Amino acid sequence: MLGQSANEADFKERLIANVKKEVKQIMEESVTRKFVHEDSSTVVSLCGAVEACLSQGLRRRALGLFKTSSTTALLHKISSQCEEAAHVSKKIHDIEAADPSKRSSSSSDSIIKPPILTKKGSSNSVGGGTPTAVSNNSQPSMKYLWIRIALYEKKLTRIIDHLVANANRYYDKDALVADSDYGSILSSLLVGPCALEYSKAKTLDHFWTDPTANDLVQRHIIPSQTTPQSSRRPMLNIKRIHTSSDDSGINSYKSNSPASTAKDYVESLHQNSRATLLYGKNNVLVHPKDVAEPMLGYLSLHQSINFLTIKWTPNQLMNGYNEQSLPSSAGSITSASEVDKSFFWAYVMNINIDDIVYVHCHQNRSSEETSGTIILVGHDGVQRPPIHFPEGGHMAQFLGCLETGLLPHGQLDPPLWSQKGIGRIFPWPVKSRRRFGGLPSVLENNDELPIDYVFRVVNKSNPEEFLATHPIMEVGRTSPYRRHLSSCSTNESSDGSSKSISLDLVESTTIQQPTNNQATSIALVCTTMKRQIISRAFYGWLAYCRHLSTVRTHLSGLVHGRITPDIGADNGLTEERWREMHDDEGVISQDCEVYRLVYYGSVAHEIRKEVWPYLLGHYTFGMTSNERKELDENTRHYYETTMSEWLALEAIVRQLDKEKTAHAVAKLSSGGSASDSKVKCGVDVDVEMENEVFEENGFSDGSDVEFSEEKSPVKKQSREHIQNNNSKSLDTEKGQKETELMEVDIKSSPSTSSYETVGTDFIDYVDKEGFPLSPKLNPTAVIVTDASIDMTNIPQSAIDGNKETKEILETVNEELSPNSLDALQEPKSACVSPASSNGGIYTNEQLELFGLNLHRIEKDVQRCDRNYWYFANENLDKLRNVITTYVYEHLETGYMQGMCDLLAPLLVIFDDESLSYGCFCRLMERMIENFPNGGAMDMHFANMRSLIQILDSEMYDLMHAHGDYTHFYFCYRWFLLDFKRELLYADVFSVWEVIWSAKHVSSSHFVLFLALSLLENYRDIILSNSMDFTDIIKFFNEMAERHNVSSILKTARNLVLQLQVLIENK
Amino acid sequence: MATRKKVLLKVIILGDSSVGKTSLMNQYVNKRFSNQYKATIGADFLTKEVVVDDRVVTMQIWDTAGQERFQSLGVAFYRGADCCVLVFDTTAPNTFKNLDSWRDEFLIQASPRNPEHFPFVVLGNKIDLENRSVSTKRAQQWCQSKNDIPYFETSAKEGINVDIAFQTIAKNALAQETEDLDTTSGFPNITLNADNNPRPSNDGCQC
Repeated sequence: MLGQSANEADFKERLIANVKKEVKQIMEESVTRKFVHEDSSTVVSLCGAVEACLSQGLRRRALGLFKTSSTTALLHKISSQCEEAAHVSKKIHDIEAADPSKRSSSSSDSIIKPPILTKKGSSNSVGGGTPTAVSNNSQPSMKYLWIRIALYEKKLTRIIDHLVANANRYYDKDALVADSDYGSILSSLLVGPCALEYSKAKTLDHFWTDPTANDLVQRHIIPSQTTPQSSRRPMLNIKRIHTSSDDSGINSYKSNSPASTAKDYVESLHQNSRATLLYGKNNVLVHPKDVAEPMLGYLSLHQSINFLTIKWTPNQLMNGYNEQSLPSSAGSITSASEVDKSFFWAYVMNINIDDIVYVHCHQNRSSEETSGTIILVGHDGVQRPPIHFPEGGHMAQFLGCLETGLLPHGQLDPPLWSQKGIGRIFPWPVKSRRRFGGLPSVLENNDELPIDYVFRVVNKSNPEEFLATHPIMEVGRTSPYRRHLSSCSTNESSDGSSKSISLDLVESTTIQQPTNNQATSIALVCTTMKRQIISRAFYGWLAYCRHLSTVRTHLSGLVHGRITPDIGADNGLTEERWREMHDDEGVISQDCEVYRLVYYGSVAHEIRKEVWPYLLGHYTFGMTSNERKELDENTRHYYETTMSEWLALEAIVRQLDKEKTAHAVAKLSSGGSASDSKVKCGVDVDVEMENEVFEENGFSDGSDVEFSEEKSPVKKQSREHIQNNNSKSLDTEKGQKETELMEVDIKSSPSTSSYETVGTDFIDYVDKEGFPLSPKLNPTAVIVTDASIDMTNIPQSAIDGNKETKEILETVNEELSPNSLDALQEPKSACVSPASSNGGIYTNEQLELFGLNLHRIEKDVQRCDRNYWYFANENLDKLRNVITTYVYEHLETGYMQGMCDLLAPLLVIFDDESLSYGCFCRLMERMIENFPNGGAMDMHFANMRSLIQILDSEMYDLMHAHGDYTHFYFCYRWFLLDFKRELLYADVFSVWEVIWSAKHVSSSHFVLFLALSLLENYRDIILSNSMDFTDIIKFFNEMAERHNVSSILKTARNLVLQLQVLIENK
Repeated sequence: MATRKKVLLKVIILGDSSVGKTSLMNQYVNKRFSNQYKATIGADFLTKEVVVDDRVVTMQIWDTAGQERFQSLGVAFYRGADCCVLVFDTTAPNTFKNLDSWRDEFLIQASPRNPEHFPFVVLGNKIDLENRSVSTKRAQQWCQSKNDIPYFETSAKEGINVDIAFQTIAKNALAQETEDLDTTSGFPNITLNADNNPRPSNDGCQC
């Protein structure tokens, strides 16, 4: 009995510990992620732990709960006495009524009991128990429904308090809840989680959740309030200035303020990955318009890549705000019920510093509750609601943070701490300097020093302009009409659109200024503005000239000088048009017209097969149909010849592979004995691992030693074989005997035979070519020559045999023993051409290289577009054949990943191996440069950089800010594969056609403009999310095959045109 | 305002082509296996949030192209890696043999501060296949010889050992990151790796 009670206590201890752990977890999550998602697994685990505590010792029978044995029933039971419980109970009822399917799961929450309840007594069940139970449930969101709701509604603590207070009615004496200590511990533990905000929505600010590309695009499509900051384009700037009402300062959350948006907004006030929180102060008084009294709120300063934002949010909207606990100074407002919270959104301030010109600071000496007031004045001259800082140097801190935030692209004028030598850029009137120099002490000695200051917010993102405008500002400074304003000039960043902005400014300023200043100052403002406009125009013009010279020097090579019109090319190259172009002999001479039509409108799918060879340069314009036929015939013949050559090699490679695999398997099954000693292990690795086909012979010196230790019978044989070869090499007298021996070998181990045969061919040939041996010599006498020795002596040129030697070889082959020939030809059944030569002239290296490439090709072919219908069947073999033929022809380059992707669309269109091969060779002439070792990729990157600089300076700035962008690796796959992986098959066809024809119409670097077009298409998403190197890689990888190709092609063509025009208008 | 820096662990997966790098990554992150993956061109990454030692960390798992020719591209991606996963195919001895060069190449290109103790994890993938040809013992021996690299035998297809392997990867990567911090702040270097090496799994051992 005693043991049992100890066990009970221990159990309760563990229950509480589990709750503690979960609470810790959830608090941790709320700290690291700044929010807790309602469906987060930590919530489920916490609820599970609470449920476990609540169900322990529940007097089910006494309460009539034995049927359901559910704590949900308990909740319903107490709802008559406990207000919070009634509230939650009603909510549950609503949810269940709304969706009957959820009823079962909600009431089942105790049926699927967490293992913890089974009391199996082992301590580990506490640690790992609850999460397991959670994962068992397919509908985690519905589990522990009432606890979850109570948690979200922040009522859980009070419900548990109620339960603890009335424990004797519902619980056994020794229950956890009835325990005086544990009960209160439980409820106090839950105070923390109950104070948290739970969010259902994913917000823009939650970057660590890495929204998918799709999400980003969707979000962008919805013209939402959540991305007001993305509007940094000049156009929108102008718009903003015109909307010069008070609304520009107060974010228009009035219109749409659903609870979720509100919550997200508040969450955005925290530091997150996109914006740094520079300053935050609670209980800052702001006096919004239309409100009788100032309101308390949270003031914060956020810095993201492009913006500095001042936000102020009324306390009523902040997390965990509690009317009862916070005595409010704005009683009339807080008296409004919680339902009317949305009403406060009207007072939220969200000010972009870019919109602010002046910061007025007032020291409020008379009032006791504030130490300083800041009034922000916008470009339009409109004042934002005054911000009153509480006492204690908060205003100075805020200004300090503001100045830090403005750096390096802007600053406060005059600099806050100019006496420390920071930001001392231009001379400051003595009077003012004294005034501002004393600022830090101002706040300490309120009585002595002047009260009011005005700072100008200077944005010097364009240093030239900044300096240029400086003399003009001097004019304003020396004028007598200045008491509060240190200078009347405004300065803001500008790109090409500086002129228009300035004009707007003049307009708005002249209208607005009278409200703030005496009429006389208008004249001054006007003069200043005029000068500024002139200087800006000049600098704009200068920049434009430099711009153009860059364009001319660096980029003129990218596009053609002549602009081809797109008249009547909307439909592209239709079948009808194509047929019209043929003359009687099937000649097409209007090459320019074809290119033009294709460039502006692609090719009709039916005639792609005919048009593509022209576009790729396989056929030339002006060929008659007979000539084309002849070319096809030649191509086919060449293709088949080449193919038969490598098929022979393939057979050898296969056989050696088989042997090696067999050996490896034998090795593996023979157990660990082989790897007992370290030395031996190393040897094993060498033998097994080598992909080199001719391992044994190529390194016969070493392999003799190795093989002497071999146990595998296969190897033993080959070892003997090699030894025989070695010992009798060059021994022509014993040749006959050796041949016999070889034949024996061939019969007994067919796996080596093919190699030997090839070796024979080779040596035979070598002797005839390289050594003055008589052709009449019995070939068997030559066979014994060890291949590995001789082959190293033969210059490569001698091996690239001409047809003559091949013929000789064939005759030699015929003379050879039928056994070996059979062995060679057996795997060649797939060979296309019966006229194939055996082509057995290979060096070790060649064979090794070919084998290596063959394996690579196979790996990639197998997984190339297997989800596309065309490659669902044996067509993959065609792909493999063409690729292998190409690689065989270019062995020194070898196979490189990506080649399959480039060939596949060609094969789909032509459905003909030799034609695909011919066109692929043409295609590769350009593409090969993009692969590693070619220089084209770096050139593309460099060009991209220049183009973006010229055509989209804002994007360029972003990339520049992230530094890493300059690598442009996110474009790598685009250029390597001509966008093949980015697009669907149907789109690949049309894009490729345009790329090919663009070479003749507008630009031989059309891919660059396609890439730019892709970037431009998503520029707003990229800019508004301020994507960095990794973000953009992820974004485009996820966006693959989802692009709108027609619009991208259109943009790309326009970009070419844009550049052409730019260059033309020198 | 006390803010806690979000921990991002960068993990690079290396290995010969078609050993299952992409599959492993997707199996771990998305709990999905597809036989439709194409050869990876360039690089891609997925992120996953994991809890390691009671800390929520984000793992950024980089999948790379397998052909060694494309390794020169790696520099940009290897930089700042916290852990490197070497994958080989248990049915293809060559892929195992090449681990050496993958490891060396990584150390050269990423040039981590402490190459001796940089965390690697070796995964022998495709153990669901019949024709196994690299024995557990040999893989283990290799791993032991390289400063006791943790070794797991996985199947991306069946999802065998994938989670535990990546959990170890996250743990070691986190240790690496903490270690980096320690070294920079001048604290004595605590070898967190020492007891982090999990016992290599013996699943599918054919000895």
